[in-house]
Amino acid sequence: MANLKLNHISKRYGKNVLAVKDISLEVHDGEFLVLLGPSGCGKTTTLRMIAGLEEVTKGRITIDEDDITNLPPWKRNMSMIFQSYAIWPHMTVYQNISYALKLKGKSKKEIDKIVKEVAEMTDISIYLERYPNQLSGGQRQRVAVARAVAVKPRIFLMDEPLSNLDAILRVYMRTELKEIHKKTNATTIFVTHDQSEAMSLADRIVIMKDGEIVQTGTSDEVYHNCKNMFVANFIGMPPTNFAEVTITVKDGKYNLVNPDFKIILNDKIAHQLKDYNNKKMIIGVRPENIMVVDEKDAIMSVKCLLVEPQGSHQVIVFKINDKISKLVVSGETKIKPEDTFFINFKQEKILFFDYESHEEI
Amino acid sequence: MWKNTVSKFAKKTLFYILITSIAIIIITPLYFLVSLSFLSSRESYQFPLPLVPAISSEFKLENGDKGYLLSIYEKRDKEFQTLIDTGNIEKISRYMKTQLNVNVSIEELENYISKLEEQNEVYFKSYKGLLHNYKTFFAITRDAVPALIRSLQVVGLTILISLSIGGMAGYAFARYVFKGKNSLKVSALFVRVFPTVAIAMPMVIILATMGFYDKPIGLSLVYSIRIIALTIWITASIFLGIPVELEEAAQIFGATRLRTFINITVPLALPGLAACAMYAFIESWNETVSAIILTQFNPTFSVVVYQSLLDASAQVNLAASGGLLMALPMVLFTLFIRKYINQMWGGTGI
Repeated sequence: MANLKLNHISKRYGKNVLAVKDISLEVHDGEFLVLLGPSGCGKTTTLRMIAGLEEVTKGRITIDEDDITNLPPWKRNMSMIFQSYAIWPHMTVYQNISYALKLKGKSKKEIDKIVKEVAEMTDISIYLERYPNQLSGGQRQRVAVARAVAVKPRIFLMDEPLSNLDAILRVYMRTELKEIHKKTNATTIFVTHDQSEAMSLADRIVIMKDGEIVQTGTSDEVYHNCKNMFVANFIGMPPTNFAEVTITVKDGKYNLVNPDFKIILNDKIAHQLKDYNNKKMIIGVRPENIMVVDEKDAIMSVKCLLVEPQGSHQVIVFKINDKISKLVVSGETKIKPEDTFFINFKQEKILFFDYESHEEI
Repeated sequence: MWKNTVSKFAKKTLFYILITSIAIIIITPLYFLVSLSFLSSRESYQFPLPLVPAISSEFKLENGDKGYLLSIYEKRDKEFQTLIDTGNIEKISRYMKTQLNVNVSIEELENYISKLEEQNEVYFKSYKGLLHNYKTFFAITRDAVPALIRSLQVVGLTILISLSIGGMAGYAFARYVFKGKNSLKVSALFVRVFPTVAIAMPMVIILATMGFYDKPIGLSLVYSIRIIALTIWITASIFLGIPVELEEAAQIFGATRLRTFINITVPLALPGLAACAMYAFIESWNETVSAIILTQFNPTFSVVVYQSLLDASAQVNLAASGGLLMALPMVLFTLFIRKYINQMWGGTGI
């Protein structure tokens, strides 16, 4: 088990493409770290640099103070689960799992014991003599996991391992991965673009954008204390609703004014915004923080455009400032398309962002 | 409905007519080659050529003007035809052996002749030695067996050289990005532009200075140049079809680059490599023009077969059996390698 440190690493392709820009990160022993970001944000490149599959242009990577920056992948003692599983089609499941152990020079008896053990753990004991093309997607995924677990690596790398599975299996495997992590307690780096996967698995989430780290924190932190608009928009499903407002002070009260609505802030929140008098800013409200209320408590009335039932809850689509916005209410609330209804925001949950920099205030 | 059935039937009929004619076009010459190789010399110069080689012949022996008169029963004409009239029994036996592929010992003949004293004619039936032509081929062509061995050496070396160099080059073309990659890949094919005969002289001189003239290694070097070009193209596309992740996974799990290549890449590329090997085999086994130019005292088998056609005693049935002998290793090799090539469509499921 190991402590992994990335010191100001960068990756440049050709002359102009900077895929990863000066990233520093520490992964603690036994931690389940998730790299999350939209496609092309450099998360996979970062993972591949850690694995040694990609040369580091600048910076250092260390494990427990050992510099591994220029070590070839076969000397790093890591294991990886690929998006395409990458299990070798010309070997049986048994051979797939035992290959790495054989390379490590373990005895036949030892190998047999380990293979049986991990096969048991991943529930593929009965498929050991089969070839990968005789297995289903989920079973192949298990083989990939078993193969990765068998070598007892210093660090586990997972590159979107669940994205090739169907929805039900994905959620199921998610739980299994978490369980395996609990059992092995291996330092794990998991790359994904699926935020719900990230939130449910991670001890810590690293959100990346354009080759840079935007925010690092636990699932709750990145959800509730978004560092900027990008995070607020990226995390959460449906995404956060944004609106431009101007702050005005009237009779000692702070008002958020928008063409469509006006909010009188309570003092606690107003305190944070005292430098923003008469300035423009952007507020973000998560769908579940918009309440459907009676007319007297409302800040505005809106017309329902669409209802997306989700069983336990429903998503209601409407427009604020002619922009599509969404809110989440319980399944029982009866709102039909074309209905007009009244809404209010949970003030203490409103996210405030600077108008220019889009950073959190 | 009715119209539909008719058009379906017509289509099917046309399809089978087409298939059958294609099959006939392919099979007919092959059939003639095979049947010719089993004909006796006498049969092979008959017109029209017998479609099926006779297995046995009926003979008639009687007293002739010069000694004994031997006739053979001609099924086609339903009568006996005179073959030879001589008093020399040994000559009769030799004639039957060389011209009719029939082995009748002198004692046997003497036995029949002794019967002539009691009756006018003696009839007897003899079976043809089926492999007679093949035995004769090896007997009359000088050094056919060593030539066969040399040919196998040439083929083995050619496969080895072209697969190892072409395969590695193909891998480089498939996996690495470097300057001038495409023009280099095309220029690999460029060597095939020159006709062998046109560059024969320089080849002889170069091989002679290398000390490889008239040696299997020299020939296989020359063949490899042409085959490598194609091997590069075939293997490059095969390697491209193998996902990089499979190799990367092996490296992460502790395999060096070379080990990855041997344990992962080569087994997965086996169908393509097998196809290349087959191509190299056929090309270098059949090749005659360069072999004639580049060998002198140590010809390959194809040259020997070719010469057997040119000999003063040229006999088509012997040449046919030589040709079949030449085809046999290729057929065997193809059958052997077929299962590896089949994997390309059926098996590994990458």
